[in-house]
Amino acid sequence: MGLGLVESGKMPKPLTKLLNTARSYSMWVYQWGLACCAIEMGAAFGSPRYDVMRLGVIPFPASPRQADLVVISGTVTDKMAPAIKRLYEQMPDPKYVISMGSCANCGGPYWDSYSVTKGVDQIIPVDVYIPGCPPRPEALLEGVVLLQMQIRTEDIAARWRGVPLVDQ
Amino acid sequence: MSTSETGTETPAEPEAPRDELRDGLVARLTELLGDGVVESHVLAGKDVWIRVSAEAWQQTAESLRITMGARYFGFLSAIDWMPSPFGRSLEAEVDTILTPQEKKALPPMTTGYAGGDTRFQVIARVANLSEHWGVTLKVDVGDESPSVPTWTKVFAGAEWHEREAWEMFGIDFVGHPFLRPMYLPGDFEGNPLRKDFPLLARFVKPWPGIVDVEPLPGVADEGDADGAAADGEGASE
Amino acid sequence: MTAISDRRKLAYIAAQAADSRVNVELESDGMTLNIGPQHPATHGTLRIVARLDGEQIISAEPMAGYMHRGYEKLTEVRTYNQVTTLVNRIDWLGSFANEVPWILAAEQLMGVEAPKRAMWIRTILFEMSRVANIILFLGDMAAQLGALTPVFFAFRDREYVLNLIESATGGRFHPNFDRIGGIKDDLPKGWVEDAKAVMDKVRDFCDQIEDLVLGAEVFTARTRGIGVIPPDIAMQYGLSGANARASGIDWDVRRDNNVGLAYPELDWKVWTHPDGDSFARFWVRLQETREATQILDQLLGGIPSGPIMAKVPRIIKVPAGEAYIATENPLGEMGYYVVSKGDLTPFRVKIRSASFNNVSITPWLLRGVYVPDVITILASLYFILGDIDR
Repeated sequence: MGLGLVESGKMPKPLTKLLNTARSYSMWVYQWGLACCAIEMGAAFGSPRYDVMRLGVIPFPASPRQADLVVISGTVTDKMAPAIKRLYEQMPDPKYVISMGSCANCGGPYWDSYSVTKGVDQIIPVDVYIPGCPPRPEALLEGVVLLQMQIRTEDIAARWRGVPLVDQ
Repeated sequence: MSTSETGTETPAEPEAPRDELRDGLVARLTELLGDGVVESHVLAGKDVWIRVSAEAWQQTAESLRITMGARYFGFLSAIDWMPSPFGRSLEAEVDTILTPQEKKALPPMTTGYAGGDTRFQVIARVANLSEHWGVTLKVDVGDESPSVPTWTKVFAGAEWHEREAWEMFGIDFVGHPFLRPMYLPGDFEGNPLRKDFPLLARFVKPWPGIVDVEPLPGVADEGDADGAAADGEGASE
Repeated sequence: MTAISDRRKLAYIAAQAADSRVNVELESDGMTLNIGPQHPATHGTLRIVARLDGEQIISAEPMAGYMHRGYEKLTEVRTYNQVTTLVNRIDWLGSFANEVPWILAAEQLMGVEAPKRAMWIRTILFEMSRVANIILFLGDMAAQLGALTPVFFAFRDREYVLNLIESATGGRFHPNFDRIGGIKDDLPKGWVEDAKAVMDKVRDFCDQIEDLVLGAEVFTARTRGIGVIPPDIAMQYGLSGANARASGIDWDVRRDNNVGLAYPELDWKVWTHPDGDSFARFWVRLQETREATQILDQLLGGIPSGPIMAKVPRIIKVPAGEAYIATENPLGEMGYYVVSKGDLTPFRVKIRSASFNNVSITPWLLRGVYVPDVITILASLYFILGDIDR
């Protein structure tokens, strides 16, 4: 709805707010589980104890093409990096990335390894970093809440145009 | 071997019979391979190492599996005995790259149990599950173009292990079905587990973990001189 | 006349040639199916490239390395205690179990022995990580076959065990609790009683799984006779743990080659199954989880008193030597071949991880099976990617 309005960048403020709020509570999240963090992500997204759906996050999209948010959880290796880039390119705009765990943030305990990418932000832009090795499920939930806060205050027109793969 | 029964009565007892077992293994293998067995080392009551010649490498596997009943394949890998030219990379600083300093003389190359003459050694471990013993085998691999016969014809499971050793050390396994990279992306250069393969990340950032061996304030040096020297280097960085 | 027959002959030959060309075009040499590198059935990032003929697999080649982090190289530039932090993350579901053989190998090289109390607490945490690990397998295996409920049960009951590990060690996932010469801390007050209560819950979980999964006809139909591994092949590939015991190999490192843990003083049983199929592997693991709770009951009932740390130097330098120590980890035999040159850091560490050997059998095992069975077989072999790639 109102796509013309969005693209022209002349959205009325209340409408922006409404759209942003709606978007922040209906995020389809794609789980890109790589290492230890994947289990904690599974605990946060799949277990009855933490129950991420109460935050308006739906953790079961069929493919990245239907996802708004991807959680990169775990060690990104140089062999895996091209697949992650391709995943990001396949997601529709507006898209968000949460980097979960020290490995995805900066290489973590493998900072000097010959085969580990030192941070997923070398490949794709990241919106929220969650520190920890691995972070607790609660930490991931807080990261989701932080992302929702960011979405509620962002300029929707800029997001709709997409983020180029270079630093702004 | 009913070592557990004797073990409960006297604590010193189990040493002797288990020694016999391992000495017996070495004798048996020597009997089977003749000159193939170069050297052996028995750690009483714990483990045994046997070094064989490269020519007898495949026959060793056959003898162990078929004649001696060691049908269980544990692992196969390699060791690079060269002392690392980078040390523990504690001296890694930007300066050492920008202004290369004279290299310190490396300590002489030493090898471990059961000796060795070459830089690379292939190690493997097989076990006899019914008699409860395992043996670690070693073989010297030439320096120029390291190669050794494959074990895949005897132990099918050696295939992945040999691929891994080929990728990590550059050791060729003659007769292996298809040596191709296992872990690393196709355009990776070098053999990471060779001692002369540098961890480049350490050259641009000094190693932060040195604090682990720093003496606590107020504690007199109870540690040895080496540890204290390493501390000094760490502090100056 | 001859001209006509020649023409006929030519026409016939041309028709044959055209036919055969069509046949060549239609005849396919199979389809390539790419599973992974990120697929729920692969527990992470294993990629399997399978050549198919219709629904059958001609050849399957697992591509490892998407999680290769270079452990063996990194251990060469870390001190012995720092390596503990690293090796925690090999098999991330049963982290504490990774530390134990490492510490035992270092202790053997140093000639240190942990006090009895430390040994018992080690064994307790070792078995607890086994329970935490295999609970997830029991839920996940059913999920791979289409039943989602057991996964939620597994995640629910696993939390109890994780809470126990956390309250004792401070780490939910990666305790990093084992030290050369003992353990870092004593157990907190009241922990033993809590742990006993949790064991009852785990036993309830096992009963539930038995009802839900083993009782289901679909599960039996899809696992019985699927992925059969004969014992001799299993030994050639170095299969260990429940995978070997499900093939009828009566071998358990805890019983047969125990080093430095409290198992000889306990009364317990090694479960085996003669069939060697996917069902047997599930069944053995289910029984082992039950057995682990029994072992834990005995351990919790008789923790000896005394110190938890032997006398070791503050700066740990391991004398020159070599040692191979293996323990029975949740996934199978995990061992470290440690070469020391008397330095602060190890000279070479070969990590013999269970999953690497367990998965190396898949090209042999997947040949000729149907595509849906691939998922069953992979799930029943039970591997963890960090344990394959290291």
